[in-house]
Amino acid sequence: MTVPAMPQPEALSTRYMAWYRFTRNPAAVIGAFMVATVILAAIFAPLIAPYPDHVGAVVDFRNRHAAPDLAHLLGTDKVGRDILSRVVFGFRVSLLLVIGVLGVAVPVGAALGLAAGYFSGLTERIITGFTNVMLAIPPLVMALAIGNVLEPNLVNAMLAITLLWWTWHARLVYRVSKSIAAEDFIEAARLAGASHWHILTREILPNCISVISVKTTLDAAFVILFGATLSFLGLGVKPPTPDLGSMVADGRQFLPEMWWEVLAPGFAIFYATLGFNLLGDGLRDMFDVEA
Amino acid sequence: MDPLLDIRDLDVAFRTYGYRAHVLKNVSLSIPEGGRVALIGETGSGKSVTAKSILGTLPGNAHVEGGSILFEGRDVLQLAEAERDRMKGTSFSVIMQDPLSSFNPVFRIGRHLDDVMRFADMRLGERSGAAERQKRIYEVLRKVQLSDPERVFSAYPAQLSGGMRQRVLIALALLHQPKLLIADEPGTALDVTTQDEIMKLINRLVSENGLSLLMITHNLGVVRQMADDIYVMRHGEIVEHGPLRQLFTSPREAYTRELVDAIPPLYGPKVVDQPPVEGETIIALEGVSKVFSERRLIGRGSEHTAVKDVDLAIRKGEIFGLAGESGSGKTTVARMIMGLIAPSAGSITVDGVTMAGTGRSDAFRHLTQIVYQNPGTSLNPKRTVGQTLSVPLRFAGLERARFDARIAELLRHVDLPAHYVSKYPHELSGGQKQRVAIARALAANPKIIVLDEPTSALDVSVQKNVIALLQRLRDELGLTYLFISHDLSLMRNFCSRIAVMLRGELVEEGEPKTVFADPAHPYTRALIAAVPVMGDEEEQMKPFVSAEERQRFLVDAVA
Amino acid sequence: MNTNWLDVMLRRLLGFAGVMLVLSLMIFVLARVVPGDPARIALGPSATQEQVDAMRLEMGLDDPVLIQFVNYVGGALRGDFGRSLISGKPVASEILELLPATLELVLVTVFLMIVISVPLGVVTARYRNSWIDNTGRFFSIIGVTMPSFLFAILLQLAAANFFPGWPILGRIDYTLTVPQGPTGLLLIDSIAHGRFDVFSSALQHLAFPALALAMAGIGQVTRITRSAMIEHQRRDHVLTLKSFGVPDRVIIFRYLLKLSSIAPLTIMGLEFASLIGNAFVVELVFSWGGFASYGLEAILQKDLNAVMAVVLVSGFFFIVANLIIDVVLLMIDPRLRFKEAR
Repeated sequence: MTVPAMPQPEALSTRYMAWYRFTRNPAAVIGAFMVATVILAAIFAPLIAPYPDHVGAVVDFRNRHAAPDLAHLLGTDKVGRDILSRVVFGFRVSLLLVIGVLGVAVPVGAALGLAAGYFSGLTERIITGFTNVMLAIPPLVMALAIGNVLEPNLVNAMLAITLLWWTWHARLVYRVSKSIAAEDFIEAARLAGASHWHILTREILPNCISVISVKTTLDAAFVILFGATLSFLGLGVKPPTPDLGSMVADGRQFLPEMWWEVLAPGFAIFYATLGFNLLGDGLRDMFDVEA
Repeated sequence: MDPLLDIRDLDVAFRTYGYRAHVLKNVSLSIPEGGRVALIGETGSGKSVTAKSILGTLPGNAHVEGGSILFEGRDVLQLAEAERDRMKGTSFSVIMQDPLSSFNPVFRIGRHLDDVMRFADMRLGERSGAAERQKRIYEVLRKVQLSDPERVFSAYPAQLSGGMRQRVLIALALLHQPKLLIADEPGTALDVTTQDEIMKLINRLVSENGLSLLMITHNLGVVRQMADDIYVMRHGEIVEHGPLRQLFTSPREAYTRELVDAIPPLYGPKVVDQPPVEGETIIALEGVSKVFSERRLIGRGSEHTAVKDVDLAIRKGEIFGLAGESGSGKTTVARMIMGLIAPSAGSITVDGVTMAGTGRSDAFRHLTQIVYQNPGTSLNPKRTVGQTLSVPLRFAGLERARFDARIAELLRHVDLPAHYVSKYPHELSGGQKQRVAIARALAANPKIIVLDEPTSALDVSVQKNVIALLQRLRDELGLTYLFISHDLSLMRNFCSRIAVMLRGELVEEGEPKTVFADPAHPYTRALIAAVPVMGDEEEQMKPFVSAEERQRFLVDAVA
Repeated sequence: MNTNWLDVMLRRLLGFAGVMLVLSLMIFVLARVVPGDPARIALGPSATQEQVDAMRLEMGLDDPVLIQFVNYVGGALRGDFGRSLISGKPVASEILELLPATLELVLVTVFLMIVISVPLGVVTARYRNSWIDNTGRFFSIIGVTMPSFLFAILLQLAAANFFPGWPILGRIDYTLTVPQGPTGLLLIDSIAHGRFDVFSSALQHLAFPALALAMAGIGQVTRITRSAMIEHQRRDHVLTLKSFGVPDRVIIFRYLLKLSSIAPLTIMGLEFASLIGNAFVVELVFSWGGFASYGLEAILQKDLNAVMAVVLVSGFFFIVANLIIDVVLLMIDPRLRFKEAR
């Protein structure tokens, strides 16, 4: 095998090296593909779903509990709705949850972590102290409690998850930010007269972006998982909106005979979480960071 | 007689990112029985790869593409792995480079020593009991001047100083009398006086035990005491080879000459005297102390006096050298002058303004700038040269329209081409990064620049150019430098005045000429004596230091 | 130098006490923002206003909020979480009765996690990029990403189809009389009473729930162990030992394993939180009837006192688990002892 000779070592850009690592990692490429299909399915759900009206309160008792066949690729549920259609729309709910939770938790967590890492002293102690307390709360238990106090629905589920989720990002960004803040170039910027705002947003933040994006990708998987678990336990989206976790819970009473009613939505969740996880892992190797 | 080790036409390549990097090209090197050979080269020249090829510890992506390594006539590259393992520690041993990272932090020192001895014993077919091994290990520890072997044996790595750990690494190599000792830049990470002790120790052990030595180093001064034969390596090739004296006095290759000339002399006719500077005082320290204290939850907290009662006056236009070893307080002094930390006692006046606390006006901020030691961490990896340089400009109040012109001017000052403005740090070499760091310091229009060992992370050949640049900039721009370093030979030639710090106190101050000719404080004498030099004449001109004095001032005191 | 043990542990304990206090404050505030009168919920819609007022007085709902909080914390410290609004029995005794079932499940789960994931992590790191590694990584990523309820259901389906007769519901075969005490953990009590039929039945019942609960942790810990091993393999101290011919197995199983156990242990502490959460799911699927089932029931029925107690007890167990891990870490890593000394 002939291998091309290395050009000058400086010429290997970090971008090239990152791309090389990513493309040599089949799992990452597969993960990217899976994530892409989930996102596309969610966006174009009305076009893809064979029975788009089955997302609502439709009943078709003649076809209830139909096993998978050509008319219903994934079978039908207890009131005869097409499971494939509901799964495709279920991805919408899952992704909405991800966007809602991470859209708030990531910026908030990152901002707090950034500040805690850069400003030492009281700021640091208050933020890290609070983060540690929040981490000690079993998230599912707390989300259940919050979901119970408020009405169980998608927005409240988002709220409950978000309230706990930012801590993970705060913790991670804090660690990175603290180590960056100790670097010489931060002190040099301060000596050059740079403002705290400049240092936080222009000097430290760019160095945290790769870690944040890896963590966010991995988190998308866990938010989906978490949301599905909540609704499986009965504290999720209200029926008849299709939600993958509730679909599993609904189908469970018809086991083991009507296995498709559980396995189809169950594996749909698994497909999405696996995809985001593989992609996140690939990105982690690509950026060579710990997240 | 056949040489003990004979490397013939060794070719090694690394595979990374789909490319092949040819790191050793036709390397040939031989070490006679009892000979002392040095392999010299700068960072990335392939000298450590050579050592790893002999030891059989090349990383997984390395391929030996050709050549042979004959040890006592047998090619170790052709041996089965078990066979090769048998030679480790008994036929040849290595003294690892970095004392801080070469031990597993969660195991006691004794565990490392015992395992190495036990498995070497097993390979030699000897049975040994734990108690007997411990006795033998204690003996070796005493041989490397660790006077309290019990304590060392039961200590965790973090409980020993760098110098002590370096000695344990030497002991590790001597557990079984090897024929060849490979020393991979031992002590580079340590202070000058400790490094000097380590070198003397290795030298003595080699001659007492009749070992052969392969010394790998980038420091030519060290080589003079440690080797008879020298190989000079560059870009994976041996560029020159010959006996020490010939290489030092009449090198054939331009590269070798460059390396030799780049070492600043300590004594003799080649020494440059910087003219003394007369002028007003720009920095004045009066009775300055700094105490760091740490509170604890129970029991009494600890206090550490980093700087004790320092008086100092630096004149405008001076290159003032502040010498001292790690923990001497020299960096703390510099940080107080820059206003980054406040003194616990005393007053600091910079450019006529007496500082109180760390609060400083914007005008004052730009007065002192700094160039750091490590070019790798002094530039933000995510920002281009232009972005880095524009920060001080923005906050110095320059109009945005004039940024480009000013940045171009700054790059010209530090001899970098104008198109470097769009480059990222990883595209630059160490020397180039340091030039950008200098340009950043200049951008704020400072009067004073603190140089915190600005060249110690650079290769000697690069070092020389950076120093010349700094000198030129001082003359052109009328700057004052506070030069912090432990490199006394560099300070001798570069500074107009120097001061020496020991454990937070200023123990000596004066013009380099007088300080070096007649050091007043015994510590200064010890420091100067520890500096490796290039010639015997220079060696003789060093001040005399008795053995007790040397021990007394070892920062890294031996247990 | 080991005197710092005391200092380090004291710091940890104080920190954890603070965490518990803040946690109880949060749950207390949460309980007070619930719409509706807790006394009304407890008594049901048919109660008269006088009865509700009497109940409010008994529950102390008319006291100032701060007094209520102090009273609540004081009670909680004495093991008094008030009465269940649904059953009217003391919450503490209800929880105490169900706790052993969950504790047994969790302990077996943690045991499974350690004995499966550590060796798997070591082996996958040792044979990096081989088929062994790929298989191991495949399974650990499934563990991390598959929802516990799906895995639990898959196990039940597998049992139904391939191991008919294998128990998939409950803690024990209902035909057996269960020996009482001393611990409430069936595995231990049965041995104490010499009832091996009970022991084997309990073990069979435990197998699937524990596996389902352990799956996520196994995946996570395997991955962390593997990457810690690989990371440390590149370090100088490994090179030191290699240069002197110390055999690979010694380097891996002695030197690397101890050093590489620090990262997974730390993760296990945090994983414990999600383990408690997953216990809710697994207990539901396997009809386990433990503390988590009680918690889920309390939440669905809006039994406030019980919900508060469940959150506090969960937090307490999380903290105890982390305290234990901290002690283990202090024993493993001498640097932790020295660092806090300086």
